[in-house]
Amino acid sequence: MATRAATPLSEAFEFEVDGALTAYWIAALRVITGWWFFHAGVTKLITDGLNFTYGPGYLKGMTGTALGPLPVWMGENLAWLIKPGVPLFETLIGLALMAGVLVRLAAFGGAFFMTLFWVGNAGFGHGLVTGDFMGLLLFVTMGVLATGRYYGLDAVIERTEFVRRRPRLKYLLG
Amino acid sequence: MQTTTIDRALLALSGALVLTGTVVLGIVEILAGEPYGAAPVEQTNAAGEVVNTIYPAVDPTIRTGLVIAGLVVLLAAAGYRMARGVGAADEVAHQPEVVAD
Repeated sequence: MATRAATPLSEAFEFEVDGALTAYWIAALRVITGWWFFHAGVTKLITDGLNFTYGPGYLKGMTGTALGPLPVWMGENLAWLIKPGVPLFETLIGLALMAGVLVRLAAFGGAFFMTLFWVGNAGFGHGLVTGDFMGLLLFVTMGVLATGRYYGLDAVIERTEFVRRRPRLKYLLG
Repeated sequence: MQTTTIDRALLALSGALVLTGTVVLGIVEILAGEPYGAAPVEQTNAAGEVVNTIYPAVDPTIRTGLVIAGLVVLLAAAGYRMARGVGAADEVAHQPEVVAD
């Protein structure tokens, strides 16, 4: 008790994900990360519609990276999906994170996008840890901490009987 | 959180790969001298012409590859937990109650 009296903020700042400040901050990070992707996606939709032609070309240029032939193959063979998919999925990932719905699924999608951006942009002049990499880590964090459970709709969805009977869905929600 | 030896091994491997790609090889890069970043640096003369290009000690493709491998292992760890059905206790807890009569 003496320790608690001496450090009255210890509980507010303790590393319990459902601690008051931790939950608030995790939710704030989730919404800001979501807005980041929503903005990127919706502005592409406004300017290019569902025909983001830059996407396939960008992937075709990713030769000699750690991802091997995958991005080039995607650029050459999945252009039909990438052109509408980049703006659409960015927008949906952003909306999902902001609302806190299917956060783990959305975070996986965001991490996939950010891996391609991190490796593709290759702006490593100031080291390997770039803004793109920090974005990638944010998405991984969203998934690992299941941030949709804190002020997000996943908290409500996970309490439904449908999800309770199918607990594996928590790997997509959360 | 219920963890098994495989869980812990996968998480340790994931962390080791990510930290090797970023921190450990980052230290190697600094100790090896310029360029301190992970990209080639072009040296120019007074006229702005490129006279020399110095390359990082460790190919950034290797470093990014290690980090990506670490993240894939983390994904595998999540997949392993999912396949094991962690959370199945909830399923049992919410099954309809069976009474004797």
